[in-house]
Amino acid sequence: MIPSSLVVVLATFAIGVLALTVFVWAWRRGLFNDLDAQARVIFEPDDLRLARRWETPAQRVERENAYGAPVVPRRGEWGGAA
Amino acid sequence: MTRVWLLLVGAFAALSFAIVLLVLVPRAMLMRVEAPPELERYTASELDGRRVYIANGCVYCHSQQVRDPTFTSDVDRGWGSRPTVPADYVYDQPHLLGTSRTGPDLINVGQRLPDRNWQLIHLYDPRAVVAWSIMPRFPFLFEEKAPGTVQPDDRVVVIPGPRAPKDRVVVAKPEAIALVDYLLSLKRGYPVPTAARARDMEPALGSGTPRAVVETRRDP
Amino acid sequence: MIRTEATDAILAARGLVPADLEIRLRADASSRLPVLVCYGAAVVWLIIGSLFGELASLKLHWPDLLTRDSWLTFGRIRTAHLNTVNYGWGSLAMIGTSLWLMPRLVHSELRHARMAVVGAVLWNVGLVVGVTGILAGMSDGMEWLEMSRWLADPWLVVGGGMIGFSLFSTVAARRAEHLYVSVWYILSAFLWFPMLFVLGNWPTWTGVESAAVNWLFAHNVLGFWLTAVSVGIAYYFIPKVLGRPIYSYQLSILGFWTFAFFYALNGMHHLVGGPLPTWMITTSIVASVLMFIPVVATAINLHMTVVGRFGALRYSPTLRFVVLGAMGYTAVSLQGSFTALREVNRVTHFTHWTIAHSHVGVYGFVTFIMFGAMYYVIPRLVGHEWPSASLIRWHFGLVLSGIAIYVVALTWAGVAQGLALLDPRLPFEASVIRAHYGLIGRSLGGLLMTTGHFVFAWHVWVMFRGRRVAAARPPFHEARPILYTAPA
Repeated sequence: MIPSSLVVVLATFAIGVLALTVFVWAWRRGLFNDLDAQARVIFEPDDLRLARRWETPAQRVERENAYGAPVVPRRGEWGGAA
Repeated sequence: MTRVWLLLVGAFAALSFAIVLLVLVPRAMLMRVEAPPELERYTASELDGRRVYIANGCVYCHSQQVRDPTFTSDVDRGWGSRPTVPADYVYDQPHLLGTSRTGPDLINVGQRLPDRNWQLIHLYDPRAVVAWSIMPRFPFLFEEKAPGTVQPDDRVVVIPGPRAPKDRVVVAKPEAIALVDYLLSLKRGYPVPTAARARDMEPALGSGTPRAVVETRRDP
Repeated sequence: MIRTEATDAILAARGLVPADLEIRLRADASSRLPVLVCYGAAVVWLIIGSLFGELASLKLHWPDLLTRDSWLTFGRIRTAHLNTVNYGWGSLAMIGTSLWLMPRLVHSELRHARMAVVGAVLWNVGLVVGVTGILAGMSDGMEWLEMSRWLADPWLVVGGGMIGFSLFSTVAARRAEHLYVSVWYILSAFLWFPMLFVLGNWPTWTGVESAAVNWLFAHNVLGFWLTAVSVGIAYYFIPKVLGRPIYSYQLSILGFWTFAFFYALNGMHHLVGGPLPTWMITTSIVASVLMFIPVVATAINLHMTVVGRFGALRYSPTLRFVVLGAMGYTAVSLQGSFTALREVNRVTHFTHWTIAHSHVGVYGFVTFIMFGAMYYVIPRLVGHEWPSASLIRWHFGLVLSGIAIYVVALTWAGVAQGLALLDPRLPFEASVIRAHYGLIGRSLGGLLMTTGHFVFAWHVWVMFRGRRVAAARPPFHEARPILYTAPA
């Protein structure tokens, strides 16, 4: 009688190999190219340029260099009054 | 659409794997479990009582499982003579294993507290018999009749102590009687049937043979 | 937005087209009505669910409270609480946020929006039927699955199906090539939940097999519905408000897939020591511990995105709630992994610890993220900002202090109860008495939370009513200022 723990381990291993295969296929297919752009898909140009009052001067300079002149945020932009 | 398909197929596979491993495979194994000869099917009244148990949410405070004595103290506490096994639950649809012990475990309450009268009093007002209890009262399972209106075949419940209703006779409704029938049917003291003792069916540790109950506690 | 050739060039170099703004405006407009319906209903269920919860809590240390009527008995009120907060508040807040988010994420309009509205209405009908049934004693018997499978559940299946159809159609018609991580979580959740709902409600399960199904269902509703959508929402709002992309997109890929494969197997950890084959339970314990991987991956990702900018929590209620909610996710998951271990479980199982743990998750994590999302979305639905910073502060203070007291008090009660239960020399009475003051503490925490909910609900009501004011001016087409209350 095969111990059930062995069945579980083998099944999980098989699934793991399958998952790895799919992962490699996706990678070769180019699904992981340009992850940078994927991470930025939620931003509009405005978002990245909004002046954020909590940022340190250094952070603000970094933002200005990267994205351009700061834009004043709309009131209630951050969710909430003021 | 490749990405979407990949995502959905992968997500489907993840859940399906779990369903196969934790539902379908055990189902195949558990279908081999036979009902123990000593375990009787629920009678019609007991089934009605089981429905009352479910309707009033008893499962949210009471469990119905005895765990292995090498793991915890369920057996030492007197809640059963042995850990319960899948075979003990073949007639339960759905299970009422419970996840909370705000109140005591009940899988053997029929053996531990077989006094029908005590059960009825306790359901009407737990604090009439167990002072520290936080169990709710279930007066709606009973009628409080004026003394002159009691019928001869009414199941009268005499409530002891100062919490008894004044000038009223407590009469159990069929729901209360059915519920007590169900509670008293909860006994799993027979030895584990050997047919159910396939190696995979054993509880966590221990052999499942019944142990003599060392002390009979007054504890519910 | 101030557009110049220079800024356009910078943006084009990063693959961002100014037309994005137009797309987003259309996306928001298309989802407005369904989201309003979902959010409105969610807040109503939040109030109802909170009242049920507070009553249930009081009954545990005041057992003679309201015991005359059958519909008020603890076993029904507690069940009504669970079903209203999970399928009412939590689910509808998540559905609303998903319907708002998905068009934005895929740069398209919400398809079949009216179908989504009808679906939301049907879902609510099902809930009313189901919860009324529970109070009347009609329960299917398994925890999280009590609503009548013949009378109530079909409404949720059809309604949810319509909402899902709307959502999936939107993704099918998408214009964005990339699928942002939030899409993975939300879309998967909308696939997983119907699968689980049908599986769990299937009428033929019996015996211990029904227990396995019960806890596969219940735990995966927590993981594959409530958690998945909430994590997806956190992955959107944290970078969005901060204006920084997620720290490591690679980590989010790892996080998602390990989450999908490990979480599904966790369910049997609710049955440790129970009458089921040991290998099933061990599988779940192992999977519960393996959850460290996706949880830590997500925690790192979200934390490293916020790090250095925690000051934002002072300015943005959205971030305040979402970041705390994300921390709540980490906390509840690590606590869960720990609790699944047999050595710990033998103390905590069957005790109030489990309820405290579940509220760290469903409240400290999911509900907080829903609050954060709604603080961001509602102004954009109604076209004007929240009128009162003070009400927001009160809401936050009340619910935060409430859940903190709740969790501390109830965890303490659970451990005291569990240790007493473990010692066979102590009578059962000890486990009840020792939990007593913790249960009172929990009611106090719950009272603060419920009060906070009334504050929030009132504020939402004020927002919804003020819609007429902003309808006169087109929202969002001007960069500045867009969101403001009626001019003098």
